[in-house]
Amino acid sequence: MGQTVEFTDTEFMICTAARLLEDRKTVFVGWGMPQLVAMLAERLYTPQLVQLFEFGAVGPQSLTPFVRGTMGGPTNVYRSLQWSNMNWAFSYAAAGYLDYGMIGAAQIDAYGNVNSTLLGGTYERPGRRFPGSGGGNEVASLCWRTILVMKHEPRRFVERLDFMTSPGYLDGPGGREKAGLPRDTGPWRVVTSKAVFGFDHETKRLMLLGVLKGLSGSGVLEGMEFRPPVVESVGEIGPPTEDELRVLRREIDPSGIIIRGERMQAAR
Amino acid sequence: METIIQGSAKIRFSHPDDFRQWVREHKRREMVEKLTTERDAIARLVADGDYIAYDFSSLTRGPQALVREIIRQRRKDLWVCAEFTLHETALLVGGGAASRIDVGFLGYGSYVGRAVSEGRVRVFDWTNGALAARMLAGARGISCMPMRSMLGTDTLRHSGARVVRDPFTGDPLCLVPALNPDVFLLHVHQADVYGDARVFGTNLFAPEAAMAARKVILSAEVIVDPQEFRRDPARTTLPYFLVDAVVHLPFGAYPAGVQACYDLDLEHIDKLNAIQTEEQMQAYLAEYVYGVQDHAEFLDRKVGWRKLQDLVRRATIREGYH
Repeated sequence: MGQTVEFTDTEFMICTAARLLEDRKTVFVGWGMPQLVAMLAERLYTPQLVQLFEFGAVGPQSLTPFVRGTMGGPTNVYRSLQWSNMNWAFSYAAAGYLDYGMIGAAQIDAYGNVNSTLLGGTYERPGRRFPGSGGGNEVASLCWRTILVMKHEPRRFVERLDFMTSPGYLDGPGGREKAGLPRDTGPWRVVTSKAVFGFDHETKRLMLLGVLKGLSGSGVLEGMEFRPPVVESVGEIGPPTEDELRVLRREIDPSGIIIRGERMQAAR
Repeated sequence: METIIQGSAKIRFSHPDDFRQWVREHKRREMVEKLTTERDAIARLVADGDYIAYDFSSLTRGPQALVREIIRQRRKDLWVCAEFTLHETALLVGGGAASRIDVGFLGYGSYVGRAVSEGRVRVFDWTNGALAARMLAGARGISCMPMRSMLGTDTLRHSGARVVRDPFTGDPLCLVPALNPDVFLLHVHQADVYGDARVFGTNLFAPEAAMAARKVILSAEVIVDPQEFRRDPARTTLPYFLVDAVVHLPFGAYPAGVQACYDLDLEHIDKLNAIQTEEQMQAYLAEYVYGVQDHAEFLDRKVGWRKLQDLVRRATIREGYH
């Protein structure tokens, strides 16, 4: 029985997000970690998932190993169905063709609003300046369901964002529609390196759905500025499988640079 | 149309009729040979205070040699369209060339981040979709483009966008102002001496920006016969009359890769990634920008034939790039 597996929290995050993707659907893949998630899902779970990159690669079948920082290179966009450019990619999303969107976040609030612009200080003199929206705002605005992928640091979960870069449910039920965003869109899951969150259907607030096997719900929430409610039976999320680790470590990131992180352990 | 929200950013804006007048007076319709050096192209066509845009990035087909020349010629006060940008924006800031940045994506921004915090450069936030839409509006000769993103966010409030009441639906609608850059820099796979050009693979907004910009400078891996374009018209990215200068710059995207030509140089990119402090930035610029006269000397003395040969050899993926 209980074989113990060792992995990093980053590996767990990528695997958990990959398991959420749905085959024979479309997903707008944001720059960075979401690319690895999509590559893993394509190889193990969702061979017919159609990815979209924001400068117009439709259905790329990225080659491994993943080259850090790239998205438009020949290995990234290999054997796409179509290559065009940004206005076309965002058109697909705006016209309703993107079932899922996947982006990262530096900070998140209870309504799944995201900050990837700045931390601390003022807008004119930020404490720390980040890349900004990129295509993240478009993904969060236009895809039917957005998946947020971020490292599990409790201090990133705040009552009030330093800056709202991309929209979650804004200020609550009806907020998106009132602002003019497309009907029936919004954040669906938040995958961290320790847990998975969803959104309460009524209140549109973040709720804890599952944690890595071996961790406790309360432990995972400790240190957050607000306490997401926990569903009645918090799911137990299995650690990375052998296949997942093989694909991640041998194929996608043999250098180990991107998948490195906090060392974790769990029983299979 | 009622304005509901007005974003606070400054914008570089011109009336579509002013842009049309520029096109009428300055974009030559006759076929003129435009082959020149990077020094001449930048000297003639990029002025202090210009708004510049470029396509693609410092990892893939970016006009890096042209950007280095802009820094070398000590341009000042440029306003940069940072659509999906990586290191080149940091270099422009480090070289004192950029004073304002429209941010779609400011990757590898810890150096730029500090410049922003210190007040050396002003940023205006947009989204990648907004900047692409602005460029499309600029190309379409209209003042703005409606969008259904940016709504509800601080990004919008700090951008130059406006939320109005949509006259057809009654819903709030985001309008982004047209962008007509002063200069658009594009590194292409193939061009002829008149400026007809082909870009293979994807691009950010190459056709739109080339139509929207007052001045277009191409650097090209290869100069081809003009008849090539007429043999396969669907593959033409830009017709010649959009273009003001063509510079034949093999490896002009280095350290970025160019699809089916050469791979990116991860070693050199790590040097760029390592730049954190002002000291490190100035050391990089001294060695790789100011310390060489031009791209040819840069390749010769700072990169070397063996490295270039290795990068060419590693560009094995050719499908679709022809």
